[in-house]
Amino acid sequence: MTAARRERAWAIGILAGLGGLAFLPLVARRDDVLNFVFLILLSITLAQSWNIVAGYAGQVNLGHAAFFGLGALLARSLWIGGTPIVLAMLAGAALATSFALVIGAPAFRLRGAYFAIGTLALGEILRTTVGNVLPEISTLPTATIAGYRLAHRYYLALALAAVSVVTVAALAGSRAGLGMQAIREDEPAAEASGVGALRLKLTALALSTGLAGLAGGLFGYYHISYYPSHAFSPTWTFDALLMTFIGGVGTLHGPVLGAILYIVLKEYLAVRWVDFHLLIFGALFIAIVLLLPGGLVQAATRGRRLFARGEV
Amino acid sequence: MTNARASRMALLEVERVSKGFGGVRAVSDVSFTLADGELVGIMGPNGSGKTTLFNLIAGALAPDAGRIRLRGHDIAGLAPHRICARGVARTFQLVRPFAGLTALENVLVGRLYGRAATTRAEAVTEAARLLALVGLEGRAETPAARLTLIDRKRLELARALATAPQLLLLDEFMAGLNPAETATAMALVRRLVDGGLTVLMVEHIVWALMDLARRIIVLSAGEKIAEGPPEAVAADPAVVDVYLGSERGSPMRA
Repeated sequence: MTAARRERAWAIGILAGLGGLAFLPLVARRDDVLNFVFLILLSITLAQSWNIVAGYAGQVNLGHAAFFGLGALLARSLWIGGTPIVLAMLAGAALATSFALVIGAPAFRLRGAYFAIGTLALGEILRTTVGNVLPEISTLPTATIAGYRLAHRYYLALALAAVSVVTVAALAGSRAGLGMQAIREDEPAAEASGVGALRLKLTALALSTGLAGLAGGLFGYYHISYYPSHAFSPTWTFDALLMTFIGGVGTLHGPVLGAILYIVLKEYLAVRWVDFHLLIFGALFIAIVLLLPGGLVQAATRGRRLFARGEV
Repeated sequence: MTNARASRMALLEVERVSKGFGGVRAVSDVSFTLADGELVGIMGPNGSGKTTLFNLIAGALAPDAGRIRLRGHDIAGLAPHRICARGVARTFQLVRPFAGLTALENVLVGRLYGRAATTRAEAVTEAARLLALVGLEGRAETPAARLTLIDRKRLELARALATAPQLLLLDEFMAGLNPAETATAMALVRRLVDGGLTVLMVEHIVWALMDLARRIIVLSAGEKIAEGPPEAVAADPAVVDVYLGSERGSPMRA
C-alpha cells in the first residue's frame, strides 16, 4: 500500500509543520505576520472541508459558502451573547451540518452538473435572505474590542487546521473514505459493489459542512466588524475550490499546498495589481483544469517522471 | 418433504417480469429459474432485452411487473447495494472499474461493502487472493485506468467476486477479447462454476456460450423465445429465424 504510506507521510509532515507554527506568536512580534498565517490556516480548513465532499465523494458543492456563513452567523451571535467561543463554534457547526442534512437528501437526487448548479443556487438564496433579514453591521462591543487578542484567534485557527487535516487523513484511510472514492469514480458501479451511495454522500456532506461551519465560526470570532452577508459570499466557495484544484483535488496535501500558494500569491498580486488578481486567478484556474487536472500534486509526479526518463 | 423442497429451492426465480421504456417493452413477461451451481447463458440479438434483464435482477432498474426472488425472498425493486448485500454481483457490458483507484482498492471496495464485510486486514488478504485468481498478481498498485481491456475485465470480475456473491451476472464478459484472451476468460468462468458459484451470462460470442452453458435462454424483442440445452436451442426454428431471418421473410444478414 505505497499510496497509503505516502499519504501518511504527508499527514505527519503537515502536522509537524503546523506544530512548528505554534511557536510563531512567540517569535513574531508583528501582527501582520500572524494575520497572514491566520488566513492561510483558515483557508486550509476551508479548502480541506470542500475537498471531503468534492474531492473524495466527487460531489461538486458550489454552495459551500452557505455553511461557512451559517457557522459564522450563529457562532458570532452566541459568542457576543457570552457563550464561550469553542462552544459557540460547535453550535455553529451543528447548525451548518443540520441544514446540510436537510437539504442534502433532495440535493443528492441531482447528479453531476445539476448538483453543482443546485447547490450554487442554494448558497445565493441564503446569502440574499440573510443579507436582507440581518442588514446591519455587527460591530464588536467596545469591551470585547479592548480584550481582543490576535494570538487566541491564531491558536484556534492552528488547532482547526490540524483537526481538518487529521479528519481527512483518517477518512482517506477508512472504509467510508474508500466507498466515497468509489462513488466519485462511478456511482452505479459502486452501488453494484454494495456501496450505499446516498448514505455515504450524506456522511461526506455532514463532515464537510461541519468543518466549514467551524471555519465560519472562527471567521466570525476573528473579524472585528461584520456584515452578515459577507460570510455567505460565494468567494468562500470559489476560494476553497481554487485552492483545492491548484493543490490537487481528492488528496490530503492538495488543499494544504493550494491554500498556501493561493494566499501567498493573492497577497502578492493584490498589492501589485489590486483587483487584477481575480483575472489572473481565473486564467490560472482554467490553465490548471485544462493542463493539470490533478493540480500541483500531478505536476510533481509528472516532473519526477520526466526527470527519471531524462536520466535513463 | 418440506426440507427436501427447501433444499431444492431455486437460487433465482424470475417470474413474469416486464419492463418498458416509454412505448418500448424492453423485457416482456420473462420467466425462468436458476438452481445452485448452474451456469446459464442468455443470448439474443441487439436490443432483445438482455442487459435490461440484468439491470432488473441487479436492481439498477425496478420491474414494472413480475417478481424476482433470490432464495425465496423478493428482491425486485430493491436498491442495487441491498441486492449486492444479499449475494448478487455483476460485471458491466462496457467495463466500469474505478479508474482512479488502484487494482487492489477496486477489489477492496467489493470486499468491504459486499456480503462478506470483514476487518480491513482480512479484506486486504482476500483482495490479493482474488487478484491472483483472476490473473492480476503483481498489478495490485496499478491504477485501474492504466490496465488493458482484458485486465480491466479481470479486475471487474475480481471486484464482483469480492462481494462474496451467490449469483454472478456476467454481461458480455468476452466482448472485445481476442481468441486467446477469450479462451483464458472461458477457463476462468469454468473454474468459478466448478468452485460452486452460480453464473448467469449474457454473451454475443455464441460458440463460447454453447461451449460453457448447459442451458441457454434466448430473448428476442424482450420475450423469451426458447430455453434449453445448447444443441436444442441451436436447432430451434424460432431461434434460427431470429438470428438468420426466415425463409419467407427478410434476406439473410451477415
